[in-house]
Amino acid sequence: MNIHLDGSNAIHSPREKVYSLLTDPNFISKSLPDSEDVRVIDGSSLEARMKLRIAVVSTTMRMKLRVERTAPPSKATLVAEGAGSGSTLKITSVFDLSGDSQTTMAWSADAEVGGVMAGIGSSLLKGFAAKKVAEIFSGITKAVEASS
Amino acid sequence: MVKGMGARPHRLGVEPLFQSSVDEVSRLVGLKKEELIILEDADRAASELLVSEFEKYVERKYNPEIMGVLKRNNLLGVPIMEEYGGRGARQLVEALFLERMGQTGMGVITFSDVHQCLGSLAVQDWGNEEQKARYLPAAAKGDTIFAYGLTEPEAGSDPASLKTSYVKDGGGYRLNGSKYLISNGSIATRMIIFARPQEGPGTPTAFILDTKDKGFSVDMRLEEKIGLFTSDTSMVSLDDAFVQSEDMLGQEGKGLAVAYSALLNGRIGIGSGCVGVMEDCLNQVKERATTRVQHGKEIARHQLIQRHVAYIESSLEACRWLIYRAALKKDEYEKDLKNLALRSESDRLSAVAKYTASRCAFGSADRAVQCFGGFGYSILSPVAKHFLDARVARIYEGTDEIMELKIASSVLGREFEAYR
Ligand SMILES: Cc1cc2nc3c(=O)[nH]c(=O)nc-3n(C[C@H](O)[C@H](O)[C@H](O)COP(=O)(O)OP(=O)(O)OC[C@H]3O[C@@H](n4cnc5c(N)ncnc54)[C@H](O)[C@@H]3O)c2cc1C
Repeated sequence: MNIHLDGSNAIHSPREKVYSLLTDPNFISKSLPDSEDVRVIDGSSLEARMKLRIAVVSTTMRMKLRVERTAPPSKATLVAEGAGSGSTLKITSVFDLSGDSQTTMAWSADAEVGGVMAGIGSSLLKGFAAKKVAEIFSGITKAVEASS
Repeated sequence: MVKGMGARPHRLGVEPLFQSSVDEVSRLVGLKKEELIILEDADRAASELLVSEFEKYVERKYNPEIMGVLKRNNLLGVPIMEEYGGRGARQLVEALFLERMGQTGMGVITFSDVHQCLGSLAVQDWGNEEQKARYLPAAAKGDTIFAYGLTEPEAGSDPASLKTSYVKDGGGYRLNGSKYLISNGSIATRMIIFARPQEGPGTPTAFILDTKDKGFSVDMRLEEKIGLFTSDTSMVSLDDAFVQSEDMLGQEGKGLAVAYSALLNGRIGIGSGCVGVMEDCLNQVKERATTRVQHGKEIARHQLIQRHVAYIESSLEACRWLIYRAALKKDEYEKDLKNLALRSESDRLSAVAKYTASRCAFGSADRAVQCFGGFGYSILSPVAKHFLDARVARIYEGTDEIMELKIASSVLGREFEAYR
């Protein structure tokens, strides 16, 4: 099952800075919500055990994350892939940064969900994903602004 | 067509079917710009409620967000006349509004139907000017939430046998008794109570009770239901509860006429919600059956699964038009309130629509669970809640059997009324 989300966030920080943080696995490792055992593997990838909660049910997935610096300092892609508790998940997020001293981050996320989790249905998954994504991006925005 | 209603890309899987209803009704009957705006608001509210309804359902808890989301989207007074602060929707638009909300589940429908169709419309249809001015603007804003207290532990299908009593006391009345299975019972600020005179043979009268009165208490929230978790259902007691004289609704002794006319509105509302349930079942089954692979192909390619799809689709199409017909007849009657033949016809159609839509919704939810297989038996699946919730629509606001008696006697003639 595929779901797509997109949006944009304003970040009070210069674009170069935002780009370098967003593509830095060390920075990503600190801003991942509900995660444990986070391990930076190299300059573009990391691993983590992430907790995903849907209503009262929570599952833990072992996720591999990989950053692709497609067109610095504007475009980057983050691919997160994992499995756990009878479900599979692959999320491809594309970031497109614009602006100079202030950054606008346009983003899109395409998720492929398989197994038990997919049974919940795309409309609900999308609702939950929208909530989670809003949480993640507000976390990233705060972390970037704090380290600028 | 309002800007955006047709052109906007579908944000959720649930939208296209509702869109087709709106487009078709618009083409055949015509919907005004303000009416389309109400439906856009309904569409937004239903999307906003999706996650909280699911979460609360899985927790088996009442969902307090229903009220907030409807309030934010100005959907608490849809059928209330504009002069009393509502949106002045005719029954057809109220039906479409509830159809969209029904996709989120019968919990949302139960709250809305009771507050608007059984509560607000009873005041609008039977209240005097002073009562309408006092209660309707507050109900449209959500400052007043209505419940409807007809059923009692020993009086359900036969409300004429209710025991709750009233007696004159100074400038008002004292009410005593117990009301059972009352939706919104513990969250309502006003409850329409039906009671008979304490002394003598008189027939029931309707009252608008302030639930803050010290004689009113909630005995228990009925949380052991087999479904409908996100809707509040309570048992309440009246222990010398006081109602001011000016809060008698309609004439003394005419309470059952108030009750039955409210149910006429309510049944179209419940049937509309059931149409929404069928729409969601169809959407969910379509998605699941075209992605789940067994025996080397999507299960949608197996003919026995296609039979379920055909059942849900046919039920949906049949019920949709039955509901719109009942709603249009009610709108016709609203313009000619003295026409008793029109009233009976409207009453008959609302019973036929509710009876058929509730059975079809339950049947469709059953088939949807079947298409989902083992996961369908989990309340984490999007269809299990419809299976559990749609069942209640065959019980409340007139059971299947009572609807059958009503429909049959409307065909055979009053002399054949079997429940007399
Ligand atoms: C979740 C929920 C919410 C509700 N909300 C409200 C509310 O807000 N306000 C309110 O006033 N009530 C409410 N009700 C009550 C509901 O309207 C009644 O349950 C319903 O009218 C049936 O009454 P009963 O439960 O007493 O069943 P009974 O009347 O005891 O019926 C039992 C069975 O006998 C059948 N039966 C009864 N009489 C006849 C007859 N003459 N011929 C053939 N069969 C007959 C019935 O159809 C049924 O199958 C709610 C109920 C539920 C479950």
